[in-house]
Amino acid sequence: MTVDYWDDLDADLAAVPTNLVLTPEPSRTTPDWTFSTITFSSIGHRGSGRYRAAGYLSIPTRPGPHPGVLEIPRHGSVNHTPHSNDRARYAILTLMHRGQRLADAPYRAPYPGLLIDGIVDASEYVYRGIVADCLRAAEILRSHPGVDSARIAAVGEDLGVLTAARRPFFRALRVDGLLLTDPWRRAESTRAYPMESLNDFRRHGTDDELVAARSTTALYDPLALAGDVTAAALVSDGSASGAALASRLGGTADTLVPTGRDRIDDDARDAWLAAQLGAPAMSRYADAMIPLPGD
Amino acid sequence: MPSDTARFTPRGPVDVDRPDDLDAFWNEALAYLERTAPAAAFVLDETMSGDGVDVFAVAYSSAGGVRVGAWYTRPEGAAPGADLPGILLIPGYISDPTVAKSWSLRGYAVLSVAPRGKVRARDQIDPGYPGLLVDGANDARSATYLGFYLDVVRGLDLLADRDEVDPTRIGVHGSSQGGGLAVATAALRPDLVRCISAGAPYLCGIMSSVRLTLTYPYQEIREYLHIHPEQRAALETAYSYLDVLNISERVACPAQVYIGLGDDVCPPETGFALVERLPHVEQFLTYQGCAHGAGLPWVNEEIDAFLERHLSPSPAAAREHDLIGGNA
Repeated sequence: MTVDYWDDLDADLAAVPTNLVLTPEPSRTTPDWTFSTITFSSIGHRGSGRYRAAGYLSIPTRPGPHPGVLEIPRHGSVNHTPHSNDRARYAILTLMHRGQRLADAPYRAPYPGLLIDGIVDASEYVYRGIVADCLRAAEILRSHPGVDSARIAAVGEDLGVLTAARRPFFRALRVDGLLLTDPWRRAESTRAYPMESLNDFRRHGTDDELVAARSTTALYDPLALAGDVTAAALVSDGSASGAALASRLGGTADTLVPTGRDRIDDDARDAWLAAQLGAPAMSRYADAMIPLPGD
Repeated sequence: MPSDTARFTPRGPVDVDRPDDLDAFWNEALAYLERTAPAAAFVLDETMSGDGVDVFAVAYSSAGGVRVGAWYTRPEGAAPGADLPGILLIPGYISDPTVAKSWSLRGYAVLSVAPRGKVRARDQIDPGYPGLLVDGANDARSATYLGFYLDVVRGLDLLADRDEVDPTRIGVHGSSQGGGLAVATAALRPDLVRCISAGAPYLCGIMSSVRLTLTYPYQEIREYLHIHPEQRAALETAYSYLDVLNISERVACPAQVYIGLGDDVCPPETGFALVERLPHVEQFLTYQGCAHGAGLPWVNEEIDAFLERHLSPSPAAAREHDLIGGNA
């Protein structure tokens, strides 16, 4: 069932032409990198046929090819814009999946609520389209002429595990947080959204709906697909679910148990990725003042 | 981890000019807000309610007739006259407004605001993220952020008007944008706010911050100046009206401020500058090795204790702590 489900998704996506459009962003372009907003086509949303997802793409101007980084969208209506440190080192694509800003017409995702949108029917579950958006973004990054196809990484939440499992060309996978992993069990110990959406569903859904919802989320649990990941991996999560995910990632995963000192943790994550891709490590905390033009 | 205020070397100064007509500007802004009636609607969300908490989807009108939103949570079944302490919760820059069940399980009535541009509040004004910080910002009176501040103030007024809330026991809390605007709200409604807990405060020393980081949202200003260098003086003037440092001396209540000494989003120097200006800093917590999370694993208990001291909720379950910076 699992393999057929994802093969069907791949087939649906393959039938949709990418139709990539790059719009240059002069305000974010510098002598060191070229920055664009992109839109592209992915599978349809509830019968729409096709859907336009979006992203930010920054390519260094120095001679390439460059290591590539796919920033997996976070759970939230907005994603961070790629940081200057990453634009300087990598060809970097930050995806906005369907429902997020820049990709929210006609579907404007609810927050909270995205996690359970369509959950009782695996063929209608909103994450089917979201995974497709991730897979297409991975293809776009890999096919860019400025990208070294042997040095591509995915970073972000555990949606990246599904992406790397279905597109096994990633050299590195950095999992910075859990969303889809072991979701019902993790929901039992929180009243915070997005996981609380599952508790809401459990309180108010029928028994049949609950069975269907669990069946859907089982398909999307990264634990089910982690064995297909060939990339070197870092799981940055100190929970039992994080440990379980790391153990399923082919036995090659590193783990970083967050210390709570997020400057130290962020720098460690940056250094791990840089080492995987052959780039220098950089901290986002500036050593000194940075003059503005005209200072 | 204990708080550590001793070991920090500033990288540069935090300066902001104070406009001569600053008080008139804010009086005019608050009068503008009053021209629009709130027309607030609190609708119980039965799907999200239960297990100890009532959840309401809120819509209200704010400055310029803009319809914005909020989530309101309270202990399940709280009746008029319950005299609940209130918390106004303000989201971070890119965060989606929290449905604050964990706070209400602890005995608080909580209004978690969704100002203009946020999810459920973007039908009329939607500057985007990035975008909000520089939208219309070469004139303080046209800056979208001015309306955003006023949306938060209006949220405080609505919370104080709830029948089940004790209007003399309202605190304001948030981190990052929520921290900066907690201070701003207390400055603009000094008679209504009992205490503020402000983490990693944003919008303090705005133009100085742009020189201390390349991280968003402040990076929006650098990028704006990249293509509009002629607007620099106008931006500096406009931000001097909106800069929280310039109104922080109006705050009349006790404040708790906490920062990470390695914060690349809101430079720690600006947190020190805020503390120097706030009249009643009860607690200033600084954390080595921490960035924009501002000591979350350790500071949560300090936040709970500070708010309990000033707002006296009825005994209730311990609050589930935010360990991933969901409000940042």
